[in-house]
Amino acid sequence: MPIRLSLYFFIGLMSLFILGPLLWLAVHAFATNWTYPNLLPDSLTFHWWSKVFLDSALGTAIKNSLIISPIVVLLSMVICLPAAYAAGRLNYFGRKTFLIGMFAANSFPKIGLFAAIATLYYALNLMGTFVGVVIIQLLGTIIYMTWIPAAAFAAIPRNLEEAARDAGASKIRTFFTITLRLAMPGILVAIVMSFLASFDEAQGSYLVGAPSIYTMPTEMYSLVQNYPIQVAAVFSLLLAFPSVLLIGIARKHIIGGQLAEGFQIK
Amino acid sequence: MALPPVLLVVAFVGLPILIGFTFSFGFTSGPNRVVSLIGQQIHTKDHWWGTFAAYRDVIHDARFAGDLILTLVVTAISTSLVLVMSLGIGVYQRMVGGRIATIMSTLTLVPLFVPVVISSWAIHTFYSGDGFMRTVFHHVGINFPTLTSTTSAIVIGTIWTSLPFAILMVTSGFQSIPDALIETAQDAGAGFFRIVRTVLIPLALTPIIIAATFTAIGILGSFTIPYFLGPNQPTMLGVEISNFFGSYNRPQQSIVMAFIVFMAASGIAVAYIWANVRSAKQSGRI
Repeated sequence: MPIRLSLYFFIGLMSLFILGPLLWLAVHAFATNWTYPNLLPDSLTFHWWSKVFLDSALGTAIKNSLIISPIVVLLSMVICLPAAYAAGRLNYFGRKTFLIGMFAANSFPKIGLFAAIATLYYALNLMGTFVGVVIIQLLGTIIYMTWIPAAAFAAIPRNLEEAARDAGASKIRTFFTITLRLAMPGILVAIVMSFLASFDEAQGSYLVGAPSIYTMPTEMYSLVQNYPIQVAAVFSLLLAFPSVLLIGIARKHIIGGQLAEGFQIK
Repeated sequence: MALPPVLLVVAFVGLPILIGFTFSFGFTSGPNRVVSLIGQQIHTKDHWWGTFAAYRDVIHDARFAGDLILTLVVTAISTSLVLVMSLGIGVYQRMVGGRIATIMSTLTLVPLFVPVVISSWAIHTFYSGDGFMRTVFHHVGINFPTLTSTTSAIVIGTIWTSLPFAILMVTSGFQSIPDALIETAQDAGAGFFRIVRTVLIPLALTPIIIAATFTAIGILGSFTIPYFLGPNQPTMLGVEISNFFGSYNRPQQSIVMAFIVFMAASGIAVAYIWANVRSAKQSGRI
């Protein structure tokens, strides 16, 4: 059937377009050298992996990323989740104003905002500090940590909570066993998206953190310019690892519509 | 309870933007003192309201016109292509479904989980002079062009990274349309394209517009993709803002460009807000 055939052709093309670059880079992580126009690398090696793990600057960057991102996500939850709960319970107008305010903050071009923040950071002595990098990354998570949980809280039928209260559950118990549990998929998606936003943030962390604090993505900028392509490939695989791990956790909810739901004001 | 994130945004987004705004008009004292001392070609205000000198610098800069055009053209092309692809996949998933649709939506979700730094670099090596495309086409005797460091590579990169979000929005919009409506249209004799045009797209217009605005705003301000994949000159304004701030040490002109990009983004944001209000009105919430 020609329609079926053209569909397979389209899937093949999309796979090449989306997966091709990733696989091509991944193979480079194990190649000694690759001479154009050979279809295969000259030979395979683990040499680049040991190079990355033994290089202290790269090791520090990995450690920084693994420390900073969880802190950013935790802070973001503490700051934003109560607000998301309140927004989910507000009337339409209040919720709209709050969420659009958060959105407007996100539509200023990032690199321009970082340049403006740098000016403020000089005055506050936050340039090149751990706190400075955490704040920069925190800003990128706010939109996820307010919008998606707010939609999740707003979607919970109020009469479920009332029924629990009528059956004698305390306010706190109702919150934890009904409200929070039903909002959990949305919160989980928000956590995953925030973690990725923080873990992948490069422009702001570079402008504010370099040269004293490098995270994995900011280290990539200098890697790409100063090291052979194979080292950047190894580093890319390491950098992609947490993301791939998170697919397994949140895939169902993200495809299930939590993410898309979260970006519509209801 | 809504206060903490609002305070954070006010302190680290609102305040810097406001300070930057005064800086772009030549207010060089107070919080702008340090950056004015470090930077070059700083204009200080000559009227009580400031000066347009920095804006004049940027508009008369030969690079700026090329950069602005490139930025707007890339945004328009990439957003349209992303929209066409997500509409196509969304319609297929809604009308046909099945295994192929699942494979397709899972596949297009992959870029969501890949850091932009990696994907830009992967795309860079894939389409470079000794990349996969040229290698494979060399063996079948075709000289595939080197796309890396051209505008085409920026378009490829922005589509690659924007696709998952747009597809998620559009498919969830289509999925929420009841089967009954589509079946009724079919019973009344409507063909495939007529159903898409008169039932699917109008009913999912709000998520489609949200997808388009998010995509366009993201591309307008993008930095990493044009930085790794684009030509040196002209380049997208995101890269030029960073160049002016860092390499050329002209922070005032850099902030001016940021405001010009912001104005373009605000125009798009208005469409987004309109789409949300529209959907709220339709369901009778306001």
